[in-house]
Amino acid sequence: MLEIKHLSKTYDDGTEALKDVSFRVEKGEFLVIIGLSGSGKSTLLRCINRLVDPTSGEILLNGENVATAEGQNLRVFRRRMGMIFQHFNLVKRSSVLTNVLSGRLGYTNPWASLTGRFSQEDRKKASAALKRVGLEIQTNKRADELSGGQQQRVGIARALMQEPDLILADEPVASLDPVLAHSIMGYLENLNKEEGMTVLCSLHYLDLVQRYATRVIGLRDGRLVYNGTGEDIRKITDEEFKEIYGEDAQRVGAAGGVA
Amino acid sequence: MRTSKIDTTVVSSPLPALLTGIASLIIPGLGQVLSNQARRGLLMLASLGTMVGILITRIFAIGQEYFVDGFGPSLAKTFERYTFFAIIMVLSLLFLYLWFALDAYRLAKYKKKQGNLGFFVVLLGFFTLGYQLSEIDLVRMVQNFPDASRRMSRVMWPWEAAFEYDEERIEAEAEILISEAGDLPPIPVEVEGEAYISVDPRFGTLGAVDDQYNQVPGSEITVTGRGFTPNTFTEIYWVDDAGTEFRPRTAGDYVSATTDDNGAFELTMTLPFDDTPSTRSGPLYNRVIARQTFQVGGARFSDELNLILELMLETIFMGMMATIFGIIFSIPVSFLAARNIMGGSRLGLAVYYFTRTILNIIRSIEPLIWAVIAVVWVGIGTPFAGIIALTIHSVAALGKLYSEAIEGIDHGPIEAIQATGANQIQTIMFAVIPQMISPLVSFSIYRWDINVRMSTIIGMVGGGGIGFIVVQFIRLGLYQQAGIAVWFIAITVALLDYVSAEIRNRFM
Repeated sequence: MLEIKHLSKTYDDGTEALKDVSFRVEKGEFLVIIGLSGSGKSTLLRCINRLVDPTSGEILLNGENVATAEGQNLRVFRRRMGMIFQHFNLVKRSSVLTNVLSGRLGYTNPWASLTGRFSQEDRKKASAALKRVGLEIQTNKRADELSGGQQQRVGIARALMQEPDLILADEPVASLDPVLAHSIMGYLENLNKEEGMTVLCSLHYLDLVQRYATRVIGLRDGRLVYNGTGEDIRKITDEEFKEIYGEDAQRVGAAGGVA
Repeated sequence: MRTSKIDTTVVSSPLPALLTGIASLIIPGLGQVLSNQARRGLLMLASLGTMVGILITRIFAIGQEYFVDGFGPSLAKTFERYTFFAIIMVLSLLFLYLWFALDAYRLAKYKKKQGNLGFFVVLLGFFTLGYQLSEIDLVRMVQNFPDASRRMSRVMWPWEAAFEYDEERIEAEAEILISEAGDLPPIPVEVEGEAYISVDPRFGTLGAVDDQYNQVPGSEITVTGRGFTPNTFTEIYWVDDAGTEFRPRTAGDYVSATTDDNGAFELTMTLPFDDTPSTRSGPLYNRVIARQTFQVGGARFSDELNLILELMLETIFMGMMATIFGIIFSIPVSFLAARNIMGGSRLGLAVYYFTRTILNIIRSIEPLIWAVIAVVWVGIGTPFAGIIALTIHSVAALGKLYSEAIEGIDHGPIEAIQATGANQIQTIMFAVIPQMISPLVSFSIYRWDINVRMSTIIGMVGGGGIGFIVVQFIRLGLYQQAGIAVWFIAITVALLDYVSAEIRNRFM
């Protein structure tokens, strides 16, 4: 459903974050992007929903090019892709409900949303989404009153409101402790398996990658250096590991992970 | 062995010790300079130089105060009038002069850095100069305390002046001849059931000042009254030949009496002083009035209280208007002063620095100064002048605070809202404004608080509001009325302080 063709991104300061990256994602896949910090994982995810404008290349979502979309077209593309962030990126002073409802903004008339009101239907969807992530009793709390794990669940609920085909998750568990990490990854897996949403997720910890991924791509210095199935990653060799993480990297423990 | 840093530092001094010591006697600090301790030497020369300079100007000033010319007589006057000050100054200057020379000598002899203890004498010298220059007068402070505290107590508890009553008076008067020649005034006719007074004798001399500037008290008279309300306080008033009514005093107290059971009284008083000797010729008559005053009906606000309330309201609104205008003007300005908005281009950065600089300059000038300027602009006594002054200062202060709030915006939520497919307007509505609103409200309320507080004193320079009347009352000696105004200012400011803190807490 998603095809990336020769994608490159050079920032204004000359940093080449992505160099000629190409890969395909099939519907229903749980694709994990791995690589060191600064390898281009975030840039890749942000290029796909155009938070970052790519320098060259194509991003085809069901055959339509996202890379050149403008205005209303871009809005429609974006609302089909829910995004989850490492630092949750909730509006801290707004209520949990408002944060979740803002996931509907791509569907709302901009002038109508000036009043800050949402339709009855949207509000129903919001309470359903909150129920789904187990936060229905926190609805009216301010976002910054919640714990980290709860905030990320609000982030997931916000993405759900978009009724997306694709979920982009940028290090969704990097700010959370390991127990919460599995809980959040569980929600994503759930959406992937039960709702059939395609998930693109960048991750740090190899054990999480091996546990959840159906397919894995590896980035190093902006280049695609690995492309394998979930099976492949569970049997990753030291050579492949060093190809992704560099010569100096050490695999830690049997389950793996990056030092 | 552990030694302190000062002792171990070796000084390279090329000259013999005695020579450097003498050099410092010729010009203080010269010996130190010659011993390669230029900074120390210059500091010594500078401190001694400033002290001597200021001392000389003070001596001339004191000379002028006592009308003597030239340095010698002025110095003598200084020793005579400010003995303690003069002795301390001479001693510390002498000490420093010798210490500097000794220091130079020891520097060269031991080739080590010397201690800095002597510089405490420099501090002492400056403290003594400051004490004399700022006319600190503890004796006067203690002497005047009883008088000041009497006035202060009127400021502290001024509520008598806050209310007025309708009065009813019972009074009677009698005439008295005060010139040397002339007929005696007629004896007042007594009517049954009405108040009546008579004076004995029916002539007298007012108090005066003779050729030798000695006070000669007036003659004594006896005042007898009948037909007044029994057992009631009765005041005596005096009406001079120009028709001015006032309350005469005997030995500092107002002349008064309390009537007996029959409504009668008798008192002896001294005729008051003649402040303005009459130029009229011919017989002159003054009048004595005995008066009982009764309050009738309920209390009502005094004119002063009404004026104060009116001006207090004006003051609060002055602060409020200035805040509103300040907010309106400072929002666009704050965007120009926010680095994350303007930092994109070279031109933007130039605008940013320009705006910041202007804001800093405006902010460093006190609202009171702006008020003086605004008064020249739109006229004295109008609250509009105060509003202009406070608005100018508010724009500068709020502009800076708002711009910092804008700079503090978290970019993450903006990205997240954009990612949902929201457009520009929706992003501002849902990601920018919610982050801005709390600091904006908080700063604005805080500013309102400051502005009302400032507007209470801006009247003192003619910018309208209650400050003007406070100064006026104090200058007229109306301490109670001034006290009422001060009380209202204190209450208003305290209330506002509380309210603004509450609102800010709620938004934080």
